[in-house]
Amino acid sequence: MKKYSLTAAQNMHYQWIRQYNTQQVSGLSIVASLKADLDFEILKKCILLEIKRYGCLRVQFTKPDKNKEIKQYITDKIPSDIPMKDLSNMTMEEADNTMQSWAYNTFVGDDIPMYEFFLVNLPEGYKGFFLHMDHRLIDSCGVVVMTNDIMSLYTHYRFKSDMPEDLADYETVLEKDLKKASNEKRFQKDKKFWDDQLDELGEPLYSDIQGPMVLDRARQAHNNPNLRAADIELKELFVAVKDYKLEAEPTKKLFDFCQNHQLSMTNLLLLGMRTYLSKMNNGQEDISIQNFISRRSTQDEWTSGGSRTIMFPCRTRIMPDTDFLEAAYQIQNMQNQIYMHSNYDPAFIYDEIRKRYGTPENTTYESCYLTYQPMPVKMENPFLKDIKMHSKWFANGAATKKMYLTVSHTEDGGMNFSYHYQTVDLNEKHVELFNYYLMKIIFTGIENPELSIGELINIV
Amino acid sequence: MSMESKFKELISQYCQSSPEDLKNDIRFREDLDFSSLDFMSFLGELEDEFDVELEQDKIVQIRTVGEALTMIKDLQEAS
Repeated sequence: MKKYSLTAAQNMHYQWIRQYNTQQVSGLSIVASLKADLDFEILKKCILLEIKRYGCLRVQFTKPDKNKEIKQYITDKIPSDIPMKDLSNMTMEEADNTMQSWAYNTFVGDDIPMYEFFLVNLPEGYKGFFLHMDHRLIDSCGVVVMTNDIMSLYTHYRFKSDMPEDLADYETVLEKDLKKASNEKRFQKDKKFWDDQLDELGEPLYSDIQGPMVLDRARQAHNNPNLRAADIELKELFVAVKDYKLEAEPTKKLFDFCQNHQLSMTNLLLLGMRTYLSKMNNGQEDISIQNFISRRSTQDEWTSGGSRTIMFPCRTRIMPDTDFLEAAYQIQNMQNQIYMHSNYDPAFIYDEIRKRYGTPENTTYESCYLTYQPMPVKMENPFLKDIKMHSKWFANGAATKKMYLTVSHTEDGGMNFSYHYQTVDLNEKHVELFNYYLMKIIFTGIENPELSIGELINIV
Repeated sequence: MSMESKFKELISQYCQSSPEDLKNDIRFREDLDFSSLDFMSFLGELEDEFDVELEQDKIVQIRTVGEALTMIKDLQEAS
């Protein structure tokens, strides 16, 4: 069986597993169910077939070598059964809590399957499946593609709809990714881009949503008054989740602004976040936020599965007299350049920073992380479109990030702002304040795009 | 395969159009639904495939298939 190195995106998760010493940080879980009399035998057949079709599900990892590096390979082993869990005698809240507890499980061992499917019989007549797997095998877009494929298989076998087209081969796309990553000329171009940023701006500077006291605390702990990075929480990883909805009408205002000014929503959100961080940190001009991008551009990359989501620091130095729109374009320009160099392994960025500035181990320059998911999570299968659905993502319970915001779209045309935060340092009040100011900054900005960032900070 | 065919073959991997449907006046964002990430990734791939170095200030002006093709041809001729 051919063995492959990990891609940069997979390696990111693997390094977190090593750093936090638990596979729990790499867990990803969902339930997808329909209020319908699903035939569990057909659904089981479809899930087993999906394991065969969607190669990423069959990825396993070797035992770490003497350098603690692992390889991946694609096994052809398909399980013979999918276990059934009957939660129908519970309330939906109890059922969700039970599934949440499954999401905390870890895959311990080498050369083992890194996923677990259950057929689930849920309260209120909902039936479907629960999936728990390792993030190195799949990301949220991959899960949506897989769920849609399983349901297309189901409607094929149940209602004789067309058989869904084959999904792209995971191994082929993986080989292409690894070939790209080993292109020396490309590597040097990407490295130059990130090194140039350090040449121009110097060492990044930490900014925390709680204000400058966090960096001050790190400076005292390290006995270094010039330290520019803050400590990462390594032990207390418990995470809480808080969601805030934005209704359809204000969401439309944001989209109209983006469309009228040729801006992307990600960049508007990044501008809002960085402005809040600047406000909380005495007008700090140099702000870095980790932004996740999903490296899916070609048709094959969309359907091959795998973990293609990777984060890069969006670092901008924006002066207080820069107007809101110009600031948004500065971020957009930075993001576009990052996209062009997104085949680079971000670990190399931090290797270079450590080499140049001697950054202490287990410290960071970023307190906030953003994922914007433009992809709808609803099923597009016409056979199922009018059927009520209960789907839910379950947090793995171990946050590697202080505050991680996921922005997604809701079926009613609005947006959902989902905050995952480490409870050791943050509470709901911090998140509520963050979301309040984020909205205030963005909406004040789009209504007055000529306002300078300094004025905006003072107004809100 | 000619340079132009290779170029259009590359675009077709990013969208649902076949290479022969990719006329020069087709716009990447409006007609082919390229996101910023798609477009910038595509440009990175063009650099690798045709061994050219794109200039940032020229990239932002590219809207259509024909403009990108001309830019690559010009860069190849200049090198």
